[in-house]
Amino acid sequence: MWSAGRGVAAGAALLGLLLGLLAPGSGATKSGAGLVTCGSVLKLFNTQHRVRLHSHDIKYGSGSGQQSVTGVEASDDANSYWRIRGDSKGGCPRGSPVRCGQAVRLTHVLTGKNLHTHHFPSPLSNNQEVSAFGEDGEGDDLDLWMVRCSGQHWERQAAVRFQHMGTSVFLSVTGEQYGSPIRGQLEVHGMPSANTHNTWKAMEGIFIKPSVDPSAGHDEL
Amino acid sequence: MSGAAIGSHLPRASLSRGLGTPGKLTGRGGGQASCRSGPSRRPLREAASQGWVGWGADAAAADAVRSVWGKGRHRGWHSETMAPQNLSTFCLLLLYFIGAVIAGRDFYKILGVPRSASIKDIKKAYRKLALQLHPDRNPDDPRAQEKFQDLGAAYEVLSDSEKRKQYDAYGEEGLKDGHQSSHGDIFSHFFGDFGFMFGGTPRQQDRNIPRGSDIIVDLEVTLEEVYAGNFVEVVRNKPVARQAPGKRKCNCRQEMRTTQLGPGRFQMTQEVVCDECPNVKLVNEERTLEVEIEPGVRDGMEYPFIGEGEPHVDGEPGDLRFRIKVVKHPIFERRGDDLYTNVTISLVESLVGFDMDVTHLDGHKVHISRDKITRPGAKLWKKGEGLPNFDNNNIKGSLIITFDVDFPKEQLTEEAREGEGYSVCMWCVCVCVCVCVCVCV
Repeated sequence: MWSAGRGVAAGAALLGLLLGLLAPGSGATKSGAGLVTCGSVLKLFNTQHRVRLHSHDIKYGSGSGQQSVTGVEASDDANSYWRIRGDSKGGCPRGSPVRCGQAVRLTHVLTGKNLHTHHFPSPLSNNQEVSAFGEDGEGDDLDLWMVRCSGQHWERQAAVRFQHMGTSVFLSVTGEQYGSPIRGQLEVHGMPSANTHNTWKAMEGIFIKPSVDPSAGHDEL
Repeated sequence: MSGAAIGSHLPRASLSRGLGTPGKLTGRGGGQASCRSGPSRRPLREAASQGWVGWGADAAAADAVRSVWGKGRHRGWHSETMAPQNLSTFCLLLLYFIGAVIAGRDFYKILGVPRSASIKDIKKAYRKLALQLHPDRNPDDPRAQEKFQDLGAAYEVLSDSEKRKQYDAYGEEGLKDGHQSSHGDIFSHFFGDFGFMFGGTPRQQDRNIPRGSDIIVDLEVTLEEVYAGNFVEVVRNKPVARQAPGKRKCNCRQEMRTTQLGPGRFQMTQEVVCDECPNVKLVNEERTLEVEIEPGVRDGMEYPFIGEGEPHVDGEPGDLRFRIKVVKHPIFERRGDDLYTNVTISLVESLVGFDMDVTHLDGHKVHISRDKITRPGAKLWKKGEGLPNFDNNNIKGSLIITFDVDFPKEQLTEEAREGEGYSVCMWCVCVCVCVCVCVCV
C-alpha cells in the first residue's frame, strides 16, 4: 500500500515536472511574443484599485506644482498612454525586451513629460508626490524607475512593480479621490514598501514585437 | 517551361497565364505513357470541390481551356469523334489542365517576387499591390475581387515560413490546412481597420460624427533601415465598442424646462436630458499590424493606420499614426539623401596614397583608392552611395568621406626621423616595383 502510494506520488511529481518543463518550452517557441519592449506605448493598470496611470495638462496645486499624475477608470482615454524608453544613454533600442531590474523611463505620450518623483508630499495622502516632468521626453535622473518583476523579462500578462531609482519608493495607489476639476480620479504617489497597492499590469497599447536587431550595436566595424 | 515541352504547338501564352508552374509535370515529358502514370488523376469535379483551390483556380483553368479551344479548333469531349493523334493531344491537354488545376496558383507570380524573395520583399510587394488591387479602387474590373483574394492567399502562404516550405515543395495542393484568416484580416494588418478608406478622400462628416482620439507613436528607426527598408511588427491591443444587453444614456445635454407653478407663474429650470441608445461595452481586442519603413524615409514622416486609435462609444475610433524618428548613427551622418562620414588615414597614406574599403549600411564595401597626396579635411564624393530617395528609390544620394590624417602624437626621435623618411622611400619603391610587376604580368 505504502509503495503504491509512493508510486502514485512519484508519478504525479513526474507528470508535474514534465508539464513544468513543457510549459516554458511552449512559451519559448512563441519567441517571447508577450514581452514588453522598449519603444512600446501602453496603459498601466493598477490591479488593486482598477485604475489606469494617467496624466494631463493640469498642475498640482501644492507640493512641486508640476504636472499631476493620477489614476482614471476609463479605458478609452488617450491621456493614459505612456511610452517605455531606456535611460538617456540609449541603452534600449526599439524592440528589445525590458528585463526585470532594468531602469526605464515612462514618457507621457500626449504631453512629452516623464513619470517623475521627488521629495515633495502628495496632496491627499501625504505620501511622496509623483509628477510628470521634463520637456519632449527629456527630464532628469529622477525619471528612472526600475521594473520589478519575477522572471527574466517584463511580460505583458505579469503584474509588475515600479521602484524609483533615486528615492526607492514604489509607484502606488491607495484610493484617495480628487475633487473638482478632476473629480473621480485617484491619487498616484510613491510608497516605501512593496505591497498589493503597487502592482501594475500592461493593458491596452501598441506593443512592438521583440526583435533581435542586428543593426543596433554593430561593434565589429 | 514545361508548357513548351508538352504542347509546343499549342499557343503557349494562353496556357501559361494564370496557371503558373505546373510543378508536377516537370520532367515527365510528353508521350502517351504520361497519360496513364501521371500525377494523381482526379476528376475535375473533385479538384474543384477542394476548398483551397476554390473557384478562382477553377475559373482560371476554365479560362485557359476556353482560350485554347476557342482558337478555332473546337472539339467536344466525346472521344469517339477524335482521331488517334488528336486523342493523344487531348490526353496531354487534359493532363496539363488537371495538373494545372491541382498545382493551383503561382503565388510568387501573383506577388511579383522571385522564388528567393525574403519575407521583407514579400511584405513590401503585398503592401504595394494591395493598394492597387483593392476592389474599392477598381470598381470597373469584374475580376478585381478575385485578384484581390488571390493576392491575400499568396501573402498568407508565402509570409508563413512553414506554409511557404510546403508550397515550394508540393504546390498549392500540398498545403495542409485551408486558408485560415480571411483576407480582410491580412489587409488590416497593413492598413488598419478602416484602411479601405484610403485614396486621399478625407473622411466625410468629420464634424458630425464624434471621433476617438488619435494616437501618435514615435517609431525609432536606424539608418540601416532607412537604407534598405524594413517592416516592424506591432501588436495593437485596443478597447473596442461591442454590443451589450440593455440600454444606456447617450447624447446627454442640458435643456431648459419650463414648469408652471401657478396661474401665470412659470419657472425655468435646467435639466439634463439624455437619449436612449443600445448599450455598448468596451472590450479589449488584439491584432498584429505591420508598419513599413520605406527606404529613404525622412524624419517626421507618418504612417497612419485608420481606425486603430482610441475608440469613441458614440462615434468612430481615431487613428493610430507612427511617426518616424531617425536615430543618430555612430558612423554615418545623414543630410537629406547624402551620407557623411569621417575616415582617418595614417600620415604615410596621406602622402603616398591608399586603397581601402568602407563598409556601408547594408554591409557592402565601397572601394576608395587614392594615389595622390591627401590633405587633412579633404573630401571625397562617391556618387550613388548615399541613401535612396524616398520618392524614387533608384536615385541615390552621395557618400561624402572626409579624411582626417593621424599625425604622430609625440615628437619624432632622431632615429624615427631617419626611419620615417627611409620607410616612406622604401614604400614608394615597393609600390613602384609591384605596379611594374603587375603591369608586366
